[in-house]
Amino acid sequence: MADRVLAEYETEDALAAAIRRFHGEGYRRLDAYLPFPAHEVDEALGGRPSRLPYAIFVFGILGAGGAYFLQWFLVGFLYPLIVGGRPPHFPLAFVIITFEMGVLFAGLSAFFGTLVVGRLVRLLDEVQGTPGFDSATRDRFWLEVSMRDPAYDSGVARRLLAETGALRIEVPEVLR
Amino acid sequence: MSDPILIGRPSDAALGEQLLGTTWRPGGRGWKLAFTISGALMLLLFALVTYTVVTGIGLWGNNIPAAWAFAIINFVWWIGIGHAGTFISAILYLFEQGWRTSINRLAEAMTLFAVMQAALFPALHLGRPWFAYWLFPYPSQMKVWPQVKSALPWDAAAVTTYFTISLLFWYLGMLPDLASLRDSAPTRRRRIIYGLFALGWNGKASTWRHYKAAYLVLAGLATPLVLSVHSVVSSDFAIGLVPGWHSTIFPPYFVGGAIFSGFAMVLTLVIPARAVFRLHNVITPRHLESCAKLMLVTGLVVAYGYIVEWFLAWYSGNAAELYQAWIARPTGPGRLAFYASMICNVLLPQVLWWGRARRSVWLLWPLSLLINVGMWSERFMIIVQSLLREYLPSMWATYTPTWVDLGILAGTLGTFTFLFLLFLRLVPIISVSEMREMTHDLVRGEHHG
Repeated sequence: MADRVLAEYETEDALAAAIRRFHGEGYRRLDAYLPFPAHEVDEALGGRPSRLPYAIFVFGILGAGGAYFLQWFLVGFLYPLIVGGRPPHFPLAFVIITFEMGVLFAGLSAFFGTLVVGRLVRLLDEVQGTPGFDSATRDRFWLEVSMRDPAYDSGVARRLLAETGALRIEVPEVLR
Repeated sequence: MSDPILIGRPSDAALGEQLLGTTWRPGGRGWKLAFTISGALMLLLFALVTYTVVTGIGLWGNNIPAAWAFAIINFVWWIGIGHAGTFISAILYLFEQGWRTSINRLAEAMTLFAVMQAALFPALHLGRPWFAYWLFPYPSQMKVWPQVKSALPWDAAAVTTYFTISLLFWYLGMLPDLASLRDSAPTRRRRIIYGLFALGWNGKASTWRHYKAAYLVLAGLATPLVLSVHSVVSSDFAIGLVPGWHSTIFPPYFVGGAIFSGFAMVLTLVIPARAVFRLHNVITPRHLESCAKLMLVTGLVVAYGYIVEWFLAWYSGNAAELYQAWIARPTGPGRLAFYASMICNVLLPQVLWWGRARRSVWLLWPLSLLINVGMWSERFMIIVQSLLREYLPSMWATYTPTWVDLGILAGTLGTFTFLFLLFLRLVPIISVSEMREMTHDLVRGEHHG
């Protein structure tokens, strides 16, 4: 059974206006598909900013802390070796690798975090194969209205889509 | 700033047609010729690396006292070139410089390919590269760990991190364009391949939000790397007591030189790519001028480094330092490198004070090549020349590279070009989604401002 309606708009402004109109009618479960991150659409959709940077920060700190611990553990504790008069636990010499590993782990978590929270790397997604949806990565702006929205009413939704200037309306088949 | 960063206001579809189209329009005869030549040089590199690994690094010209020569020069030179890519993609992004949008993808690709060439050299220079994994702390029953108080593991950490972050930044930035290619490439095979690499990107607004946040954080993470990687590389020298190496100016001097040579390489690559793919509307004289200005500034940082080296040698009162800076370099066996770096890095870039020179491809392109030569010569001067004239005159020697040294350098140039030519044909060389965003912002600014 289908669970969402997709509608194509010509400009980001038309899409943003449609989102505001749907919001006015009490719709809350809206999303959009865009060829580039248009500010208008983001503002119209509202929603809170991404909290991914907090997770990246935590991973970065863990990477840096882990690197410092490992350096101390290896050359300060397990196999202390005095070279060039430097003591076994020599914080200044550990700074560079600590910093680099902090950056490395933060960077890895930024990339893979985007894949996880953005729900990428799936073999199929819900909107794939919708006729004409190719334009979402080219020059058109698509609105998604969830049928699970408590305010959802098929007739009203279609009327609103038509009034806000949707170029085409599609109901994707659910692939499960 | 009189020149615009975008000529005309192309529609989203037109931008896609122009910028994605570079991947499916057939390459011309010139491209095939360049591909063949660079491919042949890449095979030469494979052959010479095999020869070196099988026989040993006695094939190279370096020996005591010049134990560091071509391999380290090439390493420093290549990794320095990479820095401008990261400077453009990360630092200019944080400073919201609109002109970076047209060239950041290309500059980041340059960074990746340059770092690949660079990473080859320390590994080969180990002499027994099959033990390169000893640099990493793997659980070993020998219970001997990397000596993290020495500079070599620092380099390993710095270069590994730099390559990984550059790759992730480049790839993350490319996901929307790969999805665009998946949806608009002309053949089914291309759609499947680009579709796999697009990782299921569908342009959902909520995904864009996380993407933008992650991209900004990655730019912030890459920014200190621009300054740190070459600082770490310069520490390899500065912690040594060799006259000509043992100097506190080294980190800023090396970072300035890195960005200087990197911008020269960006211009070397951008100018032909712009002409071949007719990108004059998106890579305008404004972009060339901005690169030229940064080249002028970083060139002055390099000149300042030279002056400080002379000054510190004099101020130290140390006979070996004085001899190195004031006599050995201008008159010693490697004096050609000294004069090449003075002419190419200090004298010639001064022409960029003149506005018309900064916008002329006919002047910028040869100048960028000369600066690359000059920066290679500078590393030769610092690394080899310093080792040839150390404290004891009985240790003084001369240095001659072998044909294997020259062949490996030529091979890395070929491999770099080969990878870059592949990049030009396989992925969009300009970020289409960022260009669309920028065009919409420009149009909006004109209507409301």
